[in-house]
Amino acid sequence: MAEMTYIQAISDALRLEMRRDQRVFILGEDVGVYGGAFKVSLGFQEEFGPWRVIDTPLSETAIVGGATGAALMGLRPVAEMQFADFISCAWDHLVTVAAKQFFRTRTPIPIVVRLPSGGGFSGGPFHSQNPESSFAHIPGLKVVCPATPQDAKGLLASAIEDPNPVLYFEHKHLYRRIKGEVPEERYTVPFGSANVHREGDDATVVTWGAMVHTATEAAEELAKEGVEVEVLDMRTLVPWDKARVLEGVRRCSKVLVLHEDTRTGGFGAEIAATIAEEAFEDLDAPVMRLAAPDTPVPFSPPLEKAYIPQVEDVVTALRELAAY
Amino acid sequence: MAVREAEPVGSLQEVKEAGLDREDLLGIYRSMLITRGIEERGHILYKQGKIPGSFYTGRGNEAAAVGVGTAMGPNDVGTPLHRDMGVHVTRGVEPWRVFAQYMGREGGPTRGRDGNVHMAVAELGLHTMVSHLPAMLPVASGMALAFKIRGDRRVAVGWFGEGAAARGDAHEAMNFAGVRQLPMVFVCDNNQWAYSTPTYLSYPVEHIADRAAAYGFEGVVVDGTDVLAVYREAKRAIEKAREGGGPTLVECLTLRMEGHAVHDDAFYVPKEMFEQWAAYDPIERYRTWLQNHAELSDDEENEITATVKRLLNDALDRADASPLPDPATLEGGVFASQEDLDTPHHK
Amino acid sequence: MSTGTQTEVVMPQMGVSVSEGTITKWLRQVGDSIGRDEPLLEISTDKVDTEVPSPAEGVVTQILVQEGETVEVGTVLATIAPPGAEVPPPAPAEPAAPPAPTPEPQQAPSPEPEPAPVAAAPAPEPAAPQVAAAAAGNGKTFVSPVVARIAAEHGIDATAVPGTGTGGRVTKKDILSFIESGATAAPAPARAAAPAVEPAPPPEPVAQPEPAATAAEPVPAEPVAATPAPVAEPARAAAPPPPPAPAPAPAAAPAAELVAGEALEPMTAMRRGVMEHMRRSVDTAAHVTSAIEVDLARVVALRQKLKPELAAQTVNLTYLAFIARASVDTLLDYPWVNGEVRGQSIVTRPFVNLGIAVALEEGKGLIVPVIRNAQDLNLTGTARAIQDLAERARTKKLLPDDVQGGTFTITNPGSFGTFHGTPIINQPQSAILGTYALVKRPWVVQDELGSDVIAIRPIMNLTLTYDHRLVDGAYAGMYLRDLRDKLESWDEAAY
Repeated sequence: MAEMTYIQAISDALRLEMRRDQRVFILGEDVGVYGGAFKVSLGFQEEFGPWRVIDTPLSETAIVGGATGAALMGLRPVAEMQFADFISCAWDHLVTVAAKQFFRTRTPIPIVVRLPSGGGFSGGPFHSQNPESSFAHIPGLKVVCPATPQDAKGLLASAIEDPNPVLYFEHKHLYRRIKGEVPEERYTVPFGSANVHREGDDATVVTWGAMVHTATEAAEELAKEGVEVEVLDMRTLVPWDKARVLEGVRRCSKVLVLHEDTRTGGFGAEIAATIAEEAFEDLDAPVMRLAAPDTPVPFSPPLEKAYIPQVEDVVTALRELAAY
Repeated sequence: MAVREAEPVGSLQEVKEAGLDREDLLGIYRSMLITRGIEERGHILYKQGKIPGSFYTGRGNEAAAVGVGTAMGPNDVGTPLHRDMGVHVTRGVEPWRVFAQYMGREGGPTRGRDGNVHMAVAELGLHTMVSHLPAMLPVASGMALAFKIRGDRRVAVGWFGEGAAARGDAHEAMNFAGVRQLPMVFVCDNNQWAYSTPTYLSYPVEHIADRAAAYGFEGVVVDGTDVLAVYREAKRAIEKAREGGGPTLVECLTLRMEGHAVHDDAFYVPKEMFEQWAAYDPIERYRTWLQNHAELSDDEENEITATVKRLLNDALDRADASPLPDPATLEGGVFASQEDLDTPHHK
Repeated sequence: MSTGTQTEVVMPQMGVSVSEGTITKWLRQVGDSIGRDEPLLEISTDKVDTEVPSPAEGVVTQILVQEGETVEVGTVLATIAPPGAEVPPPAPAEPAAPPAPTPEPQQAPSPEPEPAPVAAAPAPEPAAPQVAAAAAGNGKTFVSPVVARIAAEHGIDATAVPGTGTGGRVTKKDILSFIESGATAAPAPARAAAPAVEPAPPPEPVAQPEPAATAAEPVPAEPVAATPAPVAEPARAAAPPPPPAPAPAPAAAPAAELVAGEALEPMTAMRRGVMEHMRRSVDTAAHVTSAIEVDLARVVALRQKLKPELAAQTVNLTYLAFIARASVDTLLDYPWVNGEVRGQSIVTRPFVNLGIAVALEEGKGLIVPVIRNAQDLNLTGTARAIQDLAERARTKKLLPDDVQGGTFTITNPGSFGTFHGTPIINQPQSAILGTYALVKRPWVVQDELGSDVIAIRPIMNLTLTYDHRLVDGAYAGMYLRDLRDKLESWDEAAY
């Protein structure tokens, strides 16, 4: 075990996969000499050479489309979007080509697209988004949202191993802020298995990504008031661990679905609807959602604070839920 | 690096130098006949109500497609489009599977998950197109990138039309391929009409191939009704790419002899244009060449025609016998499993 | 629905599109005992007339909707108390029914001092909060899904559990600790202890909370006692809504005064249904009628021959059965006659669901039960099916499904001697066949030598009224011709 930041864990996973499997290569803007906008691949070009750590032109379409072609030829590309926001430029290649190719012609597309996402540092409308629900809605794509260094590493290994297109949303606000003990050797964390980040029986918070930490801080506040809140870290949204969520509902009977993405049509809506459908008789309160409002991500700090669910917001919501 | 306008093919000697013997020449003829035969019969099936959805053909593009398909090496790959049935045929697709594809049957390459020419058999080195043109160009450049990374002596061919040339995908793919000198050939089927849009509303230069210079590679324009000229230029480009010479843009000039799809009567194409290009029917043209230069006899020709007819009749029967897909299997194939990776083209 | 001890009888939904029904007859009266599933009343809807079986065994305690009244689906029609239950005096309501067992004059007069002249009934609503108040102390009675489930599993009245949630709501924790504390002693029947939620009639001087508990209550108590139902509204007025606004009545027409001797009676639901249905059909289809004369000599002879044989099987072999059988067989060759216009599309089908128009007694209406997959029935089967449907139509035993899904209809006005008619198509079908009187007529036939001679033949006119939007005249004519040929050359072996 070693203590690593979230971003170090991502780097570590990528490096181990590239050492282990010759087919793995990375491509993206400034990933080579510069080591990537966030330095995830710093030093990689020295170790793996310029043809496995490929600096591309500013061409998201060529990056994701190219990754798709290379995957069809047997390689395991890991494409980096400089910011998750820029994936919109390559939407077609994920959604039109990669997501549907296996269904149509049974040729798998094992690619990973790394998507530095999330806000909290005045990145503004184009450097802060959490577009996971858009892709969770597309059959054929898998969606991964790690919250801890340990999961970041294990989930990236699983993503690279997976025979399908995987969108790996790495939260920028966790990069250097969150540290944890991470095994040094290679390991995988399976998709579709939620993790109990904090135990509790009075209510369950279903969340992922940076909100796992926000929820946990809020839960500690509630604990002072004698309310024990479970924090369920989904880890992956496609596939999502429905069974574990329903189990939490059965036990706690009160649920808060929390995400940093906007509210309407967010993945939380899918979770809430499923709970209503399949666990109605376990509910002791309406399923509650807390999410960003339906606006673009604002730039100015007070606005951004109002946009991203804060610990206080979660505390308030949980109190209301607990009292119901 | 100005665009080069390719010469027509002349003597048998010239062709032999380009690597084709007489058997190959007859094989090309056969492929062109099968290509047109498949589409003609598809038309009939469509009008009989046996083909759901729409139906697209590549009439007029047979030489361009078969010529490039013939030039590809056995391990080369490509992403042919809806006017390129000849590529599938040349690479060896079984015609019955095409009919089964048209009719949405289990035996089609997409097993009814997709229709019409949205198909390819990966084992033949071909990968299925999408409707969003030219989205397969970046994919083909990625295939070439894989070859470059691994040092494979293989080439990827990416097709696009003069209409799709207007989209950003074409630019990104060509730019990336040019920057990285990928082993790739860009083939533009310039059939002069993007649905109803004429060339002068699609691009402002004389040739699409003019653009190659901007990406740092060679561009060539070839008469797309001259199968041997197409073959020669494609072969040259493919072998150059294989030897590390980087991409080439080969523009095959043809006329789309039918509407965009079966529902389109192409009223917007001037009649004189059709008449003019009808005189350059690729198959007629090649038959005449074979008679003049390769001693194609009537018997030989009849024999080939009869064989093709039989092949297609059998194919229709076999396709008709192929079952419709079982709705119970619908949700099964969205995600791949590890075993699905265990296929030759994925190694 | 069962509420405590009483079982409510509600207006059933007789088919997906049915929204109301009319009580035609009460088969039991207040005080009568009834067994479960025994017929309690007869209703009429625009789809079907039927008996309503009692949902419970017991005694009829209340009849809330009178004969001839039309009410919405789901309206409570009557209540049944378990056997042996004390039956309230038959008509507790009429004039001066003491209002809800409300206590003494209240301190706090209702904050909204509505005179509520009509609110004579012990309206159910006010009672509920009282229960909750007793149980929870604050009006909030919402029971969450999980609490409801746990309560049901343990046979507990959730409202009897002390609540600690918002507004005194019973939370999951509350009910779990309630169970844990062994308090299950107050199980379901405990409802009896709490004042009934029902507008249960008087005999319950029980457990009404003290005025103190109700001080906050704005119950409509006071006015009623004083005003004995000013309008002659039956006290039960709570239940039956006012006579339903007659659906699409041509309201504009000034209501003409009745002149002496004229009587005005409400239209039955069925009559209204027929009215709408006929009007809609004429507004929808392009009706054309073609007629053909059919020589039924062969059929007559065959019927004579087969009738005794079938009678032994209790099957009544009618001419209608022959015509139905031949019509169905011919329909398979003319799919559009058996088809349907649906939007911009045409529906055809490889089966025939044959509707047979059946007139109800005394002109009460008309019903079209359907023989499903009539193409699979031979002559005997067709005869049996017609007989069965007609019988069930007249005895009101048809089920909603019996009158749905028809693809073609036969109507038989000829039994009254008429020789021609232009029936209205039964939407959304495309055609209706009319059969008319079988009449002996002088008829030109050919003798053995091929010469024309006049013979006396049993002739029946058949009409096909068809929707010209879909069926052309030639097509209809060919259909009738083929039908005639089948009947005239009836092949015994084939049918």
